[in-house]
Amino acid sequence: MISRRTLLLVAGTAACVPAHRSNRNSLVVGLTYDIDTLNVYSTGFLGDVEAAVVEGLLAPDADAKYVPVLATSVPTIENGGIVPNADGGMTITYRLREGVKWHDGAPFTSADVAFTWDAVRNPAFIAESKDGSEDIAAIQTPDPLTVIVHYRKIVPGFATTLFTFGILPRHLLSGVDLNTAPYNDRPVGTGPFRVIAFKRGQYVLTERNPYYWRRDAAGRQLPYVDSLIFKIIPNSNSLLMQIRSGELDLVVATPYDQAKQMGGLEGVDLVRSPLLQWQHLDFNFRNAKLRERRVRLAIAHAIDRTAIVRALGGFPRPIQSVVVPVFDFHDPGAVMPAHDPARARAILEAAGWHLGADGVRARGAERLSFRLVVQAGKGDDELAQQVIIAQLQAIGIEAKADNRAGVAYRQARYKGDFDLLYSAWVTGADPIYSRFLGSKGTNNSLQYRNPALDTVLARMEGTLDPAARKAAAFEMQRILAEDLPTIPLTTNVAVVTKRRSLKGFTPNPTNMTPFVGAAFWRLEA
Amino acid sequence: MTARWLLGRVAGALPVLLGISLVLFLVIHLAPGGPMDVYADNPSVTPAALARIAEAYGLNQPLPVQYGRWLGAMVSGDWGYSIRTGRPVLTEIVERLGPTLLLGGIAMGAAFLLSVALGVVSAARTGAWPDRVIGGFTLAGLSIPVFWLALVLQLVFSVWLGWLPSGGLRTIGVEAASDRLAHIVMPATVLALATTASWSRYIRAGMITVLRQDYIRTARAKGLGETAVLLRHGLRNAIIPAVSIVALDLASVISGAVITEAIFGWPGIGSLFVQSMDGRDYPVLMGVLVMGSAAVILANIAADLAQAMLDPRVRNG
Repeated sequence: MISRRTLLLVAGTAACVPAHRSNRNSLVVGLTYDIDTLNVYSTGFLGDVEAAVVEGLLAPDADAKYVPVLATSVPTIENGGIVPNADGGMTITYRLREGVKWHDGAPFTSADVAFTWDAVRNPAFIAESKDGSEDIAAIQTPDPLTVIVHYRKIVPGFATTLFTFGILPRHLLSGVDLNTAPYNDRPVGTGPFRVIAFKRGQYVLTERNPYYWRRDAAGRQLPYVDSLIFKIIPNSNSLLMQIRSGELDLVVATPYDQAKQMGGLEGVDLVRSPLLQWQHLDFNFRNAKLRERRVRLAIAHAIDRTAIVRALGGFPRPIQSVVVPVFDFHDPGAVMPAHDPARARAILEAAGWHLGADGVRARGAERLSFRLVVQAGKGDDELAQQVIIAQLQAIGIEAKADNRAGVAYRQARYKGDFDLLYSAWVTGADPIYSRFLGSKGTNNSLQYRNPALDTVLARMEGTLDPAARKAAAFEMQRILAEDLPTIPLTTNVAVVTKRRSLKGFTPNPTNMTPFVGAAFWRLEA
Repeated sequence: MTARWLLGRVAGALPVLLGISLVLFLVIHLAPGGPMDVYADNPSVTPAALARIAEAYGLNQPLPVQYGRWLGAMVSGDWGYSIRTGRPVLTEIVERLGPTLLLGGIAMGAAFLLSVALGVVSAARTGAWPDRVIGGFTLAGLSIPVFWLALVLQLVFSVWLGWLPSGGLRTIGVEAASDRLAHIVMPATVLALATTASWSRYIRAGMITVLRQDYIRTARAKGLGETAVLLRHGLRNAIIPAVSIVALDLASVISGAVITEAIFGWPGIGSLFVQSMDGRDYPVLMGVLVMGSAAVILANIAADLAQAMLDPRVRNG
């Protein structure tokens, strides 16, 4: 048992330093998942900790636009950083920032950039994503501050992956097995914070990087905060408790079920941060009934997005396009058919689909009855599914829940074993839409084939000219709104819970997480 | 009761453990989902990348081959590597074992002392007010859900009073023993309460049976004080059946207190198990479960041993 003196002591400390913390200029962050590894290339999570520790050459900002980090500028055709080659490839030249040092004081050079490519493409390295590494043919490093990357083809989305995720330190990892390297527990980067302890299942402790290269506009050395402490708290009740008791300052992915309660707390702000993610209802084009555009149009008219949003606690936002509104190539003019059940019924009636005695429309022997697949166990998806089923029923279409778990769900999704599919895609800051909707897209499980769309997608994904890309993107969105192969429904938001004294916080919608801006966070008394 | 008996028991336990491991392996793998599920919404993880990862972990092999490989490695002392973290399973488990044993040890120790005291008192005063108060307490202890009690304690002591930290092993960066103690009070209390409630019922029942025996009447008749009758003649005999229960509960300590650890953010085996379950981290799950099963089997043998030591009839019979 605890002695009375200890109890008094603990109570006393608690009274003067709220909530058991040692340093007032440190920020305590609650992570809702248990970290697997701190290596950006092999973690199965978004790298919150990593984003504050490891830097890339470029990083996406709050508007999902790339800004230079370890490079001095974002390569473009205009500034000569990108040169298309006669052989169909391209060459990208990065100038690196001078005077950047690793957390151990060693200088950061072009050799580290070349090494990162070598390490990631190494077949022995088990990485979740080696995206981008296979498009590169060769890398040259004529001097310590210049990197020349030769690509096999035109890759407008080159900034999404490899060198943006983070650069690996060659002087520490050369010849080391990255699957088992101590680096995975104690990553060494060039970022504003360096890891000084990682206790699995408990916390990651960081301190300010004394060598950090960045200064604020007034010339003051960054970061402002002395340390970031990441506490691992997978239980959402405990998360709420610790926010209430003052033990936590920031949670960037507040579970929806706790978000409402946190919003009412004194001194706590809720920030809604958009995500590069969209929920959608897909049609399977293997099904003859769904190949009929009038059926798809009727279904589109039957959908009421506000009802879905309401069922999901009011957090997601309704969308009209697969291009979420964060992007500047989002076309506000490309809108989906409006919610209009009467119109939907009329369309089906005109197409010869008449209401049967069982409440389901039929044409001859064919009934408008579909299997609607969602991933079993995903509570939010199953809720949305119920709303969609009810909305379709209202126009005489029967949708039957056909939920699959795990491998069975993956199989159904990729092999096309569904009629209707409600699911989500998450993308980087430079999405490649042909993957989802192109005739040869690896994720086109709809088997949607539209040569006109393929042409537009090829134009969009083969050009380095932003204006041409935007024009093609608009055209793509108009085609999708007209042909309706998929119905974009909502985009989720991340709910950030933060203490009001935390200033300078900017949400980041990309997979680089808001921690990419952690150098600029400060705590006010 | 010889070394040969012990050897025989341990040898007999091995096929049982083997059978358990086979069943566990099947159940874990037949459950829906798999380690690759985390990639379901991520379009960058192409089917080719998935196949590559599955191959690296041997997940593309048929189940019997996977089990054979796992068993072969296990027998030679290799527990495999975690799919989530890439670290050795044994390292993962050993790291979590310390906090789990600390919490479990303190909670079980407190529970044992408390339940003996409560059991003896209520048996000695059957039907009187102490028995009824203790009876009420044990009923509450058995009926109140652990998670609810944990949350209420957090609300009162962390949020309202601000006396105790609401979770974790320690304040990060603070090494003081008082800090460790402050962190363990609530989870240990929660764990100990439910256990005390159940153990004290067994001890009470055992005491009541024993106190009706002839030798107790004899002890009283020869003029022995009531305390000596209760403790030396009563408890010594009443505790024997309780020992098996206690031993089995102690064995379950090693598997971690899943709910308590989750709510208090205690980095023990229970948390490791939940996280590995979420990520379908097969090697870690197998490691934790086989270790837990082995502990239960060993505890059974230990309980028999302890019974023999406490009860000459078992020893010589």
